[in-house]
Amino acid sequence: MESIKKQNKLPTIVGLAILLCVMPFLVKIVVGNQYPLLIMCIILIYIMAVTGLDILFGYSGQISLGHAAFFTVGAYTTGLLNIYFGLPLYLTIPAGAILSALLGALLAYPASKLKFHFLSLATVAFGEITYYFLYTSPGGFTRDYKGINVVGISFLGEDYLRWYFFLLAFVVLILIGKISLINSRVGRAFLAIRENTHAADGMGINVRKHKIIAFTVSAFLTGLAGALYVHLIKYISPETSMQKQSVLFLTMLLFGGTASILGTILGVASIEVLMECIRPLQEYQMLLYGILLLVVIVALPGGLNGGIKNLVSNRRRKKAMKELEIAAQAEAEARKDGDE
Amino acid sequence: MLETNKVTIRFGGLIAVNEVSIRVQPNKITALIGPNGAGKTTLFNCISGVYKPTSGEVLLDGRHLEGRRGFQINEAGITRTYQVINLFWKMSVLENVLVGMNSRLKSNFWDSLFSTKKKREEEQRIHKKAYELLQFVGLEEYADAPAASLSYGKQRLLEIVRGLASEPQIILLDEPAAGMNTTEKAELDILLKKIIDMGVTILIVEHDMKLIMNVSNYIYVLSNGKLLAEGLPNEIQQNPDVIAAYLGGDD
Repeated sequence: MESIKKQNKLPTIVGLAILLCVMPFLVKIVVGNQYPLLIMCIILIYIMAVTGLDILFGYSGQISLGHAAFFTVGAYTTGLLNIYFGLPLYLTIPAGAILSALLGALLAYPASKLKFHFLSLATVAFGEITYYFLYTSPGGFTRDYKGINVVGISFLGEDYLRWYFFLLAFVVLILIGKISLINSRVGRAFLAIRENTHAADGMGINVRKHKIIAFTVSAFLTGLAGALYVHLIKYISPETSMQKQSVLFLTMLLFGGTASILGTILGVASIEVLMECIRPLQEYQMLLYGILLLVVIVALPGGLNGGIKNLVSNRRRKKAMKELEIAAQAEAEARKDGDE
Repeated sequence: MLETNKVTIRFGGLIAVNEVSIRVQPNKITALIGPNGAGKTTLFNCISGVYKPTSGEVLLDGRHLEGRRGFQINEAGITRTYQVINLFWKMSVLENVLVGMNSRLKSNFWDSLFSTKKKREEEQRIHKKAYELLQFVGLEEYADAPAASLSYGKQRLLEIVRGLASEPQIILLDEPAAGMNTTEKAELDILLKKIIDMGVTILIVEHDMKLIMNVSNYIYVLSNGKLLAEGLPNEIQQNPDVIAAYLGGDD
């Protein structure tokens, strides 16, 4: 049965790979400037960030309303290490992700005891603390409200085509890692905790340890996304750690559908493109997130991914029904013929 | 092998379990019976690490278990099922059993992340074993279905097999026959004996007296948190205190 699945999946993967490789060139030719490529790069970065959130929220059932804080911690760490110590990027970018992961673990330690709504409040508080810390830091080492400028990655420069493939490599590796982790004892433990924490404990799962793992992995990915983001945009300010950004990540995740690979990608891409289309109405961003979340909760509980799945299975069911009908008809006719 | 020694559990002013001492003999079926609210499930929760006893000891082969957390008790070799079914509803039947194996797995986080050879071999092995366990209770045809889609009786079977997946020394069954029809109950009777044949000891709470008198080797009767009587099934059936308190006395 598994071999059939693999055979069916291979052409899809190859097709997807070709599409992903050809798309940026096509976009560049059709539009004639680099701007859409930049948006595609941002989509790739947000896919990493939201993948982090999905592992925490989608799989383990632990809400975080402060994930933008991990994003900015990653970004500021790499930026500040560069500015103050002139360390090379291949050290500072991982450093950003690792510091973010450590903070995630630190936050998870007390947070793993909290139930859903208390946890959401704790993560909101974490986001606010990060914001105010960056905004008025001791001695102003984070440059406070001005934010920080970084030089970017020299071999990528402002060639967004190169950036695209650089980021695509990261995303592919991360998604492979996600699939591998989810289809393991760790992934099953995450799901078990989400489904029934009490029973998970009784069945030998160290609930606390796995919640901490989920927080750490999640913060690592979101921090890494932030560390890459700052070099792409070359600037970051404390504003990025505000509630708005955390809500954006959550909206992307819920709109696409939680606990899946495709859902994250669909959610990020569709919301980001939508945001670009309504750029003139930026003040209404939060309003739009709210409306989108309502639509998802009421009309599409599984997000885009869930909607597509339902559509496919419905169509399959209808097809199967039709085939049965045809078979029944054929049989009836055959019987009639036999009678005559 | 498993024993409780004067276990008391107090919730505020309420004494749910009062100095209860029981002994579970290896490879036997020991039953815990008593009217509703007698403290049977509370005692179960205490043994399996949900509650910490206010006083008293819980011992497994002489090792202290009181105050340890649920997953540690599971690692020590005690697993359980629940009175109110506690499955991982959206996960498949097979995945439920795989989760049950958690405390016997060797691969760590990095093996899981990078799909090392160790992880892949282990996954293959445990998938096969989980499938065999499902065959053991006749659930193999539902392996890929979500646990929530099973009938009530089959959900109870899945809980038992999920518990057995951790290769326990003892399984605590909390009202396994509740919600089962007559056929399923008859099958449960056979299953319990098969579990004993596997080398797993059983401690069971059940209201179905026919089942209890049929399968158990030794019975403890709880009433109002206290141990009322203990003995062999026929002794319990004839015990006037038990009859008064439970099997329908004068009042």
